Amino acid sequence: MKRRDFLIKCPLGAAALGLAACSRTAALRPPAPVHIARAGAYSEDLYDTMRRVLAQHKLNVRGRRVLLKPNLVEFEPESAINTHPKLVHATLEAFRELGASVAIAEGPGHRRGTLDLADAAGYFETIPSFEDIFTDLNLDEVSRVRLPRPVSHLRSLYLPHTVLGSDLLVSMPKMKTHHWAGATLAMKNLFGIVPGGIYGWPKNVLHWAGIHESIADLHSLFPRHFAIVDGIVGMEGNGPIQGRPKPVGVIVSGHDPVAVDATCCRIMQIEPSRIGYLTLAGGLEGISEENIRQIGEKPDSVATPFELIMELRELRRVRA
Amino acid sequence: MELDSGILQNIRAAQNPDGGWPYRKGGSWTEPTVYALLAHQAIRRSAPRGSEAVAWLSAAQRRDGGWTPRHSVDESTWVTALVALLPPETIGGRRHARAMEWLLGEGAMDSSPMFRLRALLRDGKLPDGPAASGWPWFPGTAAWVTPTCLGILALKKCYWRRPSTDLRERIDEARTFLLSRRCADGGWNHGSARALGYNSDSYPETTGQALLALAGTDPAKLEGSFSLAQRFLWEQRSSGGAAWLRLGLLAHQQIPAGAPLFTMPCRTVPDTALTLLAAAAEQGYNVFLD
Repeated sequence: MKRRDFLIKCPLGAAALGLAACSRTAALRPPAPVHIARAGAYSEDLYDTMRRVLAQHKLNVRGRRVLLKPNLVEFEPESAINTHPKLVHATLEAFRELGASVAIAEGPGHRRGTLDLADAAGYFETIPSFEDIFTDLNLDEVSRVRLPRPVSHLRSLYLPHTVLGSDLLVSMPKMKTHHWAGATLAMKNLFGIVPGGIYGWPKNVLHWAGIHESIADLHSLFPRHFAIVDGIVGMEGNGPIQGRPKPVGVIVSGHDPVAVDATCCRIMQIEPSRIGYLTLAGGLEGISEENIRQIGEKPDSVATPFELIMELRELRRVRA
Repeated sequence: MELDSGILQNIRAAQNPDGGWPYRKGGSWTEPTVYALLAHQAIRRSAPRGSEAVAWLSAAQRRDGGWTPRHSVDESTWVTALVALLPPETIGGRRHARAMEWLLGEGAMDSSPMFRLRALLRDGKLPDGPAASGWPWFPGTAAWVTPTCLGILALKKCYWRRPSTDLRERIDEARTFLLSRRCADGGWNHGSARALGYNSDSYPETTGQALLALAGTDPAKLEGSFSLAQRFLWEQRSSGGAAWLRLGLLAHQQIPAGAPLFTMPCRTVPDTALTLLAAAAEQGYNVFLD
């Protein structure tokens, strides 16, 4: 029985996972490693960069099923809305070289034609046989999964088998501001695994449950998924759709999504302790700089202020 | 546009052994099953293993009268309106009537008196927009454009068969909701015309759906919507979007001369069926309105 099968079939298993998530924030845990790599453009160099990034994390994925979950939102390939297909392909190739079986999956939140969207966003052109390895998570087979320790009023969610059956879920968001959540990164990207075929477009059940609370609840189901954030060109201002491209030139990665997202916030010059879902999922300890071991570039060396809309200005990080 | 027998063949080939249809492959779902049946209705052909298809669909109806998106899901949702678009004789008069009862009893949380009162107490003012209610995708959430359009279309069909004040009022309320959610560019997106004071952009598919649901509306109230839909039609990016645009524009006799035919591949059963439904509508039989 796979770990996720156990989670589906046994409430005690789900509870155990929840306890594991809680224990992560204990003060005695080792600092979570987060790697920051410089990457100036969506060029052929990315293939080598991603090999080096994965090597830094010493991932043992030989024979494992790895699922890449990019952020696909809109049809515009020239904008900074979607995770760039070149980064996804470079990641796919790097995982394959480590011996993993790699697939790609996404369930966009607003637009229904997922494959049409992926086509327009350049995925068919960039990734050979894309359609054969891609699953539309909005329309996948589903099972009901109990939330281990919900902080929202949700008690369970239907989730796609493609995600539940993977050995390693890799969240690949775009580094963007978000007009409701403050920032959308690896954890918020998991909204895309909630099936639109059940909950609709948008997946409004998550908003009604509280956006920060439901992000934290989804995190509790996948507390140790891997995160690779596309910060080569992010989005600032009125994100996640109508903002402006923000060149940052980084790829941020790690096993602990809370630590990865907190690091991204520092790069964006957003105060992570003011992002509700980060404190709900990680506590102040989980996002503190002392509990994150930075590898590669230091956040301060690549930090650049993302423009924030008026309603989010209180999130601006001010260094002492 | 000519009806393409190949389109129908693609739909038929996708049918599952249990009688239902998948979105692409895999298990059967309510939405593609309904669209496949509507496509057969549109060209007046019997669905293959029609009784098995209806049996699959009947098994997806829940005790509350609503329909679940698939058998393994224990909740009645927006797909109930879609099933209610089928003729009562297809799914049975009693089942159809219960679906209509479910639809009439289902409302959106954001128009409930309790929600509006809480917003008033919290913000010192009532929420923006009218209290008119559309339909949610999922119970206990807010109203959105697509389920509201399907709800209007289902209720209209019922009203034409058996007019009643209740139906008329609910349709009018939902149409008011739709008009209140029109974007500044004249079209519709999923249902959020503005967010934090910023105008949002429209989508082709939801613009087509809204125009179809608003058939019969005074054209003066839809100023700017037709030209935007026509522009979307020229720029089509998905077959489903193009089909909804054609259906919506046809409902107002606004299809532009020389509009491009379908240029995008049909990647799901619903998209394939919608392409056929739009073609049938251009030949004079619109299953949503006739």
